[in-house]
Amino acid sequence: MQPLIALVDCNSFYVSCECVFRPDLWEKPVGVLSNNDGCFVARNKALKSLGVKMGVPLFQVADLVKKHDVQLFSSNYPLYADMSSRVMSLLETFSPRTEIYSIDEAFLDVTGICQPDSIGYGLSIKHSIQKNTGIPVCVGLGPTKTLAKLANFAAKKWPQTGGVLDLSDPVRRDKLMRLVPAGEVWGIGSRTAAKLNQIGINTVWDLAIQPVEPIQKQFNIVVARTLMELNGIPCLKLEEIAPDKQQIVCSRSFSRRLTEFSEVSEALAEYCSRAAEKLRYQHSVTGCITIFIRTSPFNPKEPQYQRAASIKLASATQDTRAIIATASRMLKEIFKAGYGYQKCGVQLSHIQPESSPGQLELFEFADTGLPAENRPLMKAVDQINRRFPKAISVAATGFDKTWKAKAERISPRYTTDWRELVGVKCG
Amino acid sequence: MDQMLTCTFPTGFWRPLPTARRLPLPLFLGKVAAGFPSPADDYIQKTLDLNELLVQKPAATYFVRAQGESMLGASIHPNDILVVDRSLEPAAGKIVICALNGELTVKRLARENGRWQLKADNPAYADITLHEALELVIWGVVTTVIHAV
Repeated sequence: MQPLIALVDCNSFYVSCECVFRPDLWEKPVGVLSNNDGCFVARNKALKSLGVKMGVPLFQVADLVKKHDVQLFSSNYPLYADMSSRVMSLLETFSPRTEIYSIDEAFLDVTGICQPDSIGYGLSIKHSIQKNTGIPVCVGLGPTKTLAKLANFAAKKWPQTGGVLDLSDPVRRDKLMRLVPAGEVWGIGSRTAAKLNQIGINTVWDLAIQPVEPIQKQFNIVVARTLMELNGIPCLKLEEIAPDKQQIVCSRSFSRRLTEFSEVSEALAEYCSRAAEKLRYQHSVTGCITIFIRTSPFNPKEPQYQRAASIKLASATQDTRAIIATASRMLKEIFKAGYGYQKCGVQLSHIQPESSPGQLELFEFADTGLPAENRPLMKAVDQINRRFPKAISVAATGFDKTWKAKAERISPRYTTDWRELVGVKCG
Repeated sequence: MDQMLTCTFPTGFWRPLPTARRLPLPLFLGKVAAGFPSPADDYIQKTLDLNELLVQKPAATYFVRAQGESMLGASIHPNDILVVDRSLEPAAGKIVICALNGELTVKRLARENGRWQLKADNPAYADITLHEALELVIWGVVTTVIHAV
């Protein structure tokens, strides 16, 4: 039996999450801004049709935003994460094999489940997600992941598909491929697309009819695989279990330039806490901590400085206090007064499962001055913070926090905080 | 001290599985003291979880907060928390959340003389009769009112 993969992708996911609780915005142009309220990271259809592109800085389109009364939101990640887990848990009821590909899309292996009426099955997925969560989705189907992606792209672009499209049929596939530029194919980046255009490959169809070997020689194995996948030959497997992250990075821009060591140190400590939480969430320990600080590269008039530091730990840890202590020791080394810092961050690497036996450090206190690893304590902190967000933090993260990134237009955490539930009118 | 003892299945009765199966059994939940064990130890049960009672379909369940007094007759008071299940089909007699003039609004759905109506459960508020032109989106069906006393 021919394999059949479905890609389910939420439409304008962040905006859709906001709109579930705001019927007054259903017909309006709505956008969600990146961290620090800088650039557009999500736009609904009405906003796209005004010509606002992905990643555009807000200040560049300020007039248009005012003129068309565009509704803006700061990123509300607690809300998006909760809505995503609702969507994903529903999708798992439609196939025993699913791969959560990102916060708003998943591949489902539906081989043998929905043939011959694949469109009917796709529609029932679409209907179920919309009805149960309020999030609209499109469903693309095909014998390979790349074709499922392409089908999804087309289902989103052409409303006459009804939001569901199956590209199993080679005739229909050919027709569509002639209409879509090669750069829209999953796995073909903009640079590869430009190179393809130079040798006369413009549409997906132009690419699909190429012989594999010369393409692999001229480009690489990734492009060659993509080409095979476009012809219905599966090369990419469904990855059901997300591999644990091998690196955890936590970095943000500040709301304003920071000049004091104490402020930068507090910000860094907070990012360390977040990174340590993520580390414990995936039951891992880190063996290497890297930090960096920098001034703004966008202001050439200011004096520029950037520096990173890295240290390999004698024994791997997941303890927030140990990570903060190590990071702030490095910060003392690289911090220079007299600069206006715009960003700092921490990266944890050499990550291993917490159950793997690490090297025992015999003289922990004498050697490093760090507190001994206390897993039960960290577990208790995580549990409390899950119930009462931000209830417990390490004192080094400070109290002032005016350096925090701007999130002036943030919506309530409708689904994760009892104090912020959506109000419903009895009137 | 509370303790859980881990028992390995006896293997004499059937062919052992390739991977050893271990089943944790709660043997003593009370304190192990010299003297008599608690007579309640024979009646170990799980604790009650309100989610089990109030949330049938977690992915489709939202909690919302009531504002206003039009549903007092249905025991919905201002500031009460409503449990809303979006997976349920709206039907006559159900209390629903609908999107009305851009606002999430609580009403009782009714069918009278072949026409759908949105009713308040308070005589001070007028009913709304739905006609073809009025497109109504039902947002979810209310299953429970959580009211603090």
